[in-house]
Amino acid sequence: MKILVCIKQIPDMASKFKPNAANTWFTETDLAFRMNEYDEYAVEEAIKLKEKQGADPSDLVVLSVGPARVVEALKKALAMGCDRGVHIHDDESNLKDPWQIASLIAAYAKKENFDIIFTGMQSQDRGSGQVGVTLAGDLGCSCVTTAINFSLEAGVVTAKRELEGGAKGVVKLKLPAVVTCQLGLNTPRYPTLPNIMKARKKEIAVLKAAELSAEGPRAVTEKFYHPVKKGTGLVLEGEPAALAVKVLELIKEKTTVLRG
Amino acid sequence: MEATREIYWNVGHGVVLPMYFFAALAAAVCVYGFVKRLRVYKLGKPLDRSSSPFLRLRAAALRALGQLKVMREIYPGIFHALFFWFFLLLFAGTLTVMAQVDFATPLLGIYFYKGTFYKIYSLVLDISGLGAIAALLVYSVRRFIIRPRGLETSWDDYAAHALLLLVLISGFWIEGARMAATEMRNNLELARFSPVGMWTAGFMASWPDAKLFSFHKILWWTHMFLDFSFLALIPFTKLRHLFLIPVNYFFSDLGPKGAIRTLDLADEKAESFGVGTVKEFTWKDLFDSDACVSCKRCQDECPAYATGKYLSPMRVVQDIKRGAFGGPDTDVVAAVTDKALWACTSCRACQETCPAGVEHVNKIIDMRRNLTLMKGEFAGDEARAATSSYEVNKNPFGLPPAERADWAAGLDIKPLSGNAEVDIVYFAGCYASFDRRNKAVAQKFLQICGKAGVKVGMLGKEEQCCGEPARKLGNEYLYQEMAKANIQALNGYRAQKIVTACPHCRHTLAVHYRDLGLEAEVVHHTVFINDLIKSGKLELKAGKFDFTYHDSCYLSRYSGITEEPREALQAAGGALTEMSRNRTKNFCCGGGGGRVLLEEKEGTKISAERIKQAQATAMPLVVSNCPFCLTMLEDGIKTENCEETLKVRDLAEIVAERIV
Repeated sequence: MKILVCIKQIPDMASKFKPNAANTWFTETDLAFRMNEYDEYAVEEAIKLKEKQGADPSDLVVLSVGPARVVEALKKALAMGCDRGVHIHDDESNLKDPWQIASLIAAYAKKENFDIIFTGMQSQDRGSGQVGVTLAGDLGCSCVTTAINFSLEAGVVTAKRELEGGAKGVVKLKLPAVVTCQLGLNTPRYPTLPNIMKARKKEIAVLKAAELSAEGPRAVTEKFYHPVKKGTGLVLEGEPAALAVKVLELIKEKTTVLRG
Repeated sequence: MEATREIYWNVGHGVVLPMYFFAALAAAVCVYGFVKRLRVYKLGKPLDRSSSPFLRLRAAALRALGQLKVMREIYPGIFHALFFWFFLLLFAGTLTVMAQVDFATPLLGIYFYKGTFYKIYSLVLDISGLGAIAALLVYSVRRFIIRPRGLETSWDDYAAHALLLLVLISGFWIEGARMAATEMRNNLELARFSPVGMWTAGFMASWPDAKLFSFHKILWWTHMFLDFSFLALIPFTKLRHLFLIPVNYFFSDLGPKGAIRTLDLADEKAESFGVGTVKEFTWKDLFDSDACVSCKRCQDECPAYATGKYLSPMRVVQDIKRGAFGGPDTDVVAAVTDKALWACTSCRACQETCPAGVEHVNKIIDMRRNLTLMKGEFAGDEARAATSSYEVNKNPFGLPPAERADWAAGLDIKPLSGNAEVDIVYFAGCYASFDRRNKAVAQKFLQICGKAGVKVGMLGKEEQCCGEPARKLGNEYLYQEMAKANIQALNGYRAQKIVTACPHCRHTLAVHYRDLGLEAEVVHHTVFINDLIKSGKLELKAGKFDFTYHDSCYLSRYSGITEEPREALQAAGGALTEMSRNRTKNFCCGGGGGRVLLEEKEGTKISAERIKQAQATAMPLVVSNCPFCLTMLEDGIKTENCEETLKVRDLAEIVAERIV
């Protein structure tokens, strides 16, 4: 079985983001990077699937698009248990839209004929949630998003996914398939030291983005800025009865809750 | 009449051969017993503890003969010491008889067993025998009747106590029987030097000779067999500690306190890290476990045990022992349980108090290494989150590394990257860099340095966690990553003297970083401030205040720094009332061993227990010296609901407020 897991390296979300010179994205100065949280679930699920294959030889590839720094995220995935890495080197990846990123991955994946592809349901920084589904479209695969449960029996994927309002749905799909992973699917393992050491010897192939795809953007980032501060919090003090009246007035005055 | 006695009186010199035969037999059984145990110790990995043999021998002899460790707890230690010394005298007495009758007389024709020497000898031995019986009775009452909480009694305790008591009592009755037939009849002047023998002889004064002689003979043989049983039983009962503990003293760690083996993470042949099975321990670890007599002093001192956690250091050691005798592949982590392992605060109270010289803390850390490095396990979700934060942000809070130096904005401290001339490098550590309460302490320290004219530099954004909590939680890999980055930076700037806000940072930089190449001198801020005061660079206002002082484990037990902070606080006008547990006997705040990052779900809070101890002094103020302690104790105050009556402050805050 050939498995691909696509991961993104993102800045730590506790960071203070500053716009870059062109105001099109944030500058990377002083930022600390980590693997996108949802992609960690994807890596874990891919490894679990690989481990279930038992004697059946499987090939688990982890792929990331980005500048040289993303190798750190690839190494972590390799230490967790992926077999080999593919780094699509692209210094401009943060300025590319989901269509372009999916095109790059698809250009590589088409040649490899993966049975199944895992990725996070979205990245924590750009958060478009489109790369996975677009990739499925490019490859002509079936696709399930926001999986919180996954199983594969006799070539059929059964996945539970989150719907709006807390509802859940179960879908079945045929291979080849793309699965985008959501919080709750699993608890990513912590790499053991022997596996970290073994991972040092695992191959990471480097591909140049420019040689894979020349697709232009479908959506262009217009401007990157901090939201303007509008209004401030209001602290009410006093007796509970009086406070209730004030709160009711505020609700009537400033919201549409009671307008019918 | 000559003051002496006939050796082998009544039994005759014919007993010499059978006696030596049985002695040799008993000795052979004893040696066999130890050889069997030696095979178990050899299951462990090699460890060199042979450096400076004479120093080791001297220290071991002093500790063993002086009973120094045993008497760290005066009661019941003094009774052990007295028994030991009395028994040693009795043994010396027996050797004296042997030297006279089997060597001096036949080989040299010298007879010294007489006159004043003999009189003193008789008196000393009678007093020793009586003293030994008294001490033995005290501990029999303690062990079998009072039964202190936690003291486990097994069959060999009964055997050892009974055997020793029989040896001593039978000795006095043999003496009495002989004296009833000899000295009591013809040399009362000499009999007075054996008062206990006189007393037992009194019971037999009216016995006919035949009865007296045969009673003496039977008892003599019985006593001999009891003595040899004692010798033969040593390796098979707790009595083995007679040999094992002095030997364990000899092999004690002469290196700096609290050093941990630095794992070679580049060793590609290594398949296993930490200790999961018996054979992964060193021989010394296994030897330690056999030297343990379950005296439960470690358990009595353990803050985790005292607050209802699953951990007992004694049980850990005993679990390892059972594992060791269960074979090389016994899973010791499973035997000890992860629950017990994660509960340890690495406060070292167990190890410091252990009269057997057992090294508890590194065993626990080695087993945590197995859990972390080999199994990818965590003490809890909060440990998982902190580890992830360390990996990315190099601090446990998950706060941006770019903001690490923000606490010092506008203050007189220079990043080393600017090539500033500095007297000291201040290693603030994670808590003083990010935690609101501890930032205030760091800021006060800078104020003190400013007044004293000390130029301070820092790594600033380049500083990472020292790695201590990660290392103590078993994550050697993460520790080394951060340690190496810090060392490279500090060595790169040629740091000469580093001052830390945190005793954990200090110990890690001063002891653990040596293995990885840090060269600078490392001092804790309490010592640095005290030096400034003593050298007159800091002038303090008079103004008395009352306080009690909480020693951080990593300053007191690990580093021996107990007086410097007290001196500084007293120079600042402080009147100190000590808590019952202070200096190297202090009670942990609960934050060591990486526990500061973890929730304390089991039992009661260690910090609250310490706060209760502080409240018992009726002081309005606890002065601490450690960011972890400050955090934990403030938490303890909230738990105990005594915010109004008790405050915790760092020494730096107290001194800074009193600068003229």
